[in-house]
Amino acid sequence: MSQRPGALAGSDGAAVAPPTRRGVRTRGFRLALVAPAIFVLLLVGVFPLVYLIVVSFQNITMTDVDTGFQGLLNYRLLATDGRLWEALLHTLIFIAIALPVELIFGLAMAQLFIERIPGRAVFVALLVLPVLVSPIVAGANWSLMFDNRFGPINQIIGWLAGQETALLWTIRPTLVYPAILVAEIWQWTPFMFLLLLAALSGVDRSQLEAAAIDGASWWRTFRKIVLPAIWPVIAVAVLIRGLDLFRLFDIVWALTRGGPGTMTETISIFTYVKGFQQFETSYTAAVALLIIVLLSAAVFWALKRVELAR
Amino acid sequence: MFQAQSRRSAGEALRRTLVAALTVSSLAWATAASAQSAAQRAVDAAKKSCAGKTITIVWEAGLQSLDPLNFSGPKWEQLTGCKVKVVEVPTAEMFTKIMQEYRAGTGAYDALNVVPAWMPDLVQAGALENLDPYVDKNGFRAELQKIAPTYRDNQMMVNGKIYGFPDDGDVFLFYYRKDIFARPDLQKAFKAKYNYDLAPPKTWKQFDEIGSFLTETLKSEGIYGASFFREPPYAMLMFQERFRVEGGRFFDPQSMKATVNSPVGVRVLTEMRNENRFMPPGVEKFGFVENLAVFLDGKSAMTISWPPYGRFAAGYLSEEKALSWVPKSKIAGKVGYALPPGGHPELALGFALSVASSSKQKDLAYLFIQWLNSEEISSQRVQLPYALRDPFRDSHYTNKDYMAKWPDAKDYLAALGQAAQTGLLDLSLIQTDKYDEALRQGISKLWAGGDPKAILDDVAKQWDDTTQRVGVDKQKAVYSAWAAKSGAYPKK
Repeated sequence: MSQRPGALAGSDGAAVAPPTRRGVRTRGFRLALVAPAIFVLLLVGVFPLVYLIVVSFQNITMTDVDTGFQGLLNYRLLATDGRLWEALLHTLIFIAIALPVELIFGLAMAQLFIERIPGRAVFVALLVLPVLVSPIVAGANWSLMFDNRFGPINQIIGWLAGQETALLWTIRPTLVYPAILVAEIWQWTPFMFLLLLAALSGVDRSQLEAAAIDGASWWRTFRKIVLPAIWPVIAVAVLIRGLDLFRLFDIVWALTRGGPGTMTETISIFTYVKGFQQFETSYTAAVALLIIVLLSAAVFWALKRVELAR
Repeated sequence: MFQAQSRRSAGEALRRTLVAALTVSSLAWATAASAQSAAQRAVDAAKKSCAGKTITIVWEAGLQSLDPLNFSGPKWEQLTGCKVKVVEVPTAEMFTKIMQEYRAGTGAYDALNVVPAWMPDLVQAGALENLDPYVDKNGFRAELQKIAPTYRDNQMMVNGKIYGFPDDGDVFLFYYRKDIFARPDLQKAFKAKYNYDLAPPKTWKQFDEIGSFLTETLKSEGIYGASFFREPPYAMLMFQERFRVEGGRFFDPQSMKATVNSPVGVRVLTEMRNENRFMPPGVEKFGFVENLAVFLDGKSAMTISWPPYGRFAAGYLSEEKALSWVPKSKIAGKVGYALPPGGHPELALGFALSVASSSKQKDLAYLFIQWLNSEEISSQRVQLPYALRDPFRDSHYTNKDYMAKWPDAKDYLAALGQAAQTGLLDLSLIQTDKYDEALRQGISKLWAGGDPKAILDDVAKQWDDTTQRVGVDKQKAVYSAWAAKSGAYPKK
């Protein structure tokens, strides 16, 4: 069958009516409606990224007047900068320890409070308080707690040990990681607890009752019914906290400023020092780009895992 | 002809009279002008264009900024009609703020407080206005010469041009307990042990001996031989002083290779750590306030710090509301003042007044800082009990009003006056903070138990890396200019 003049072929070969003037106007109107949003998205999302990439190939140091392009120099420096990779390692150490501990403590607390115990609402509200505190304030408080002269922690240890104790929590290499981790875990375990409490509340009670009637052990019930039910929430919680821990800054800054030396310097502190104390703007742009790539890869991988979990 | 001649001679007489009158009046005017103070000249010049305008000045947050907020700002407005807006910035952020505003070109700041060690960086970036033309135009050069030599010769110029007026005589002074040093039992026991008199130490070896002796003897009374602020930012400055006093040099002037890891450096770091043994437990965490609290509480016999310690220890205006955070002094009247061992105290930090090159009212900004820095006004400012500005002009050290502030104020000012002759400059290069940061990290590792040699080797490597990045020749030129200053290294 011959096509009518002016008619368009559809994907199945069938003739499609050409767009009318009204249709074209409607499509244009729709595009006009979304255009500002797209423009804003490009402005706040894509432009900074592109500009970041451009800057990373330049030589902007804030105090240097020659800011011309210098090719891959910043990336070569990045590859050989031991302090950067150490900072990345410190960050990973914090993630590797804090994340599972927060998850386990959060889950244990959620299990405890899923039961209707007396005063539950009050306890839950109190337990959530640390999350409401600004991390820099939490860090400053923990700095006082760990103070060698006036801090209660040394006093308590002193009472237990039966002699005056003046442990330098934020100076001695063996104590500094535990100090930071205690503060970090104290502040963010309640976040895990809240999410997991909500997830546990959504577990089908009838399945739990059926398992109980069948005589399934607590562990078996937890592993076979509860864990699969809350797994997507765990995955999201771990992802959020993992990303949070990757940009760990405030508590470490308040407690040690990355010291002793650079022993507890995280990637965020390193970036801050390079960018805003030493004004190595272009080098910091290269570091920021590295962080974006690493985080994007991690998030992409994690999201795939979440998808698989479903 | 006679008439014509007579008229000519009459005209000549009139001309001579006029010239003479003009000369006399010019001389009178010039005399009056030179008699007028630099402060008054600044006020008179500002009055002409100041009404209704506002000058914005960056000042260190906290006590320091009470000076422009409570004293100099309102007074300037009263005299000239020009308002003063004070932007308070914590010390650690001042450089960043100044650079950011300059790069953004906002012209938000007119006048600045800058740490002299930052000047090469700020000048290279173009953030500071050259003040020479303003100084000449407003007749301030003579008064600048009356700034104490160490500050005047070391903290005012970059590449031979004036970029800031030294405005704060920050220097490390040695404070000791006169009553403890005068105790006959201690004097006798000390002499018997070390074979010299118990007196303020002249060398670091003597300091170590006196410190450990006093701790051994007085610890049962709750008194330690000494306490210092040991937090890395402070200890880094103390290391800079002591390293040079002991003969150390930061760089090889030919190759610009760092020599901070020389045997002198290693010895100084080792001794610094060993000294902590006769200081209060946890001294590694002492900052300005912690050390002050211990000293004012009478728990240590010796310390080193900035000039306000002397005023606080004397209890000078302790009822001042702004100083309510200062612990009550239990040692008023018992404190002696001296130069630290070696006799070359660190001119630790300090402030200079500058004009922002991006200011839209540079003339007014300049007039304000000239007025602040003048003999007349600065002598009032350094006596403000709350503002932390320390004496920096020759006249401040002999100021009769200041000498009467407390019984030992005369000795205090005399010690400061001595320090103003022999003080040592903070290291000042392009990207100084990177060099400082490496040292701060090194000190932090030292308190954590690191090996002094390994620590200084790492510091030297970081310094060399920074020098390479800045450019060896470029940095060498800046270092040579710095090293040529009278306060860079002690005279042999």
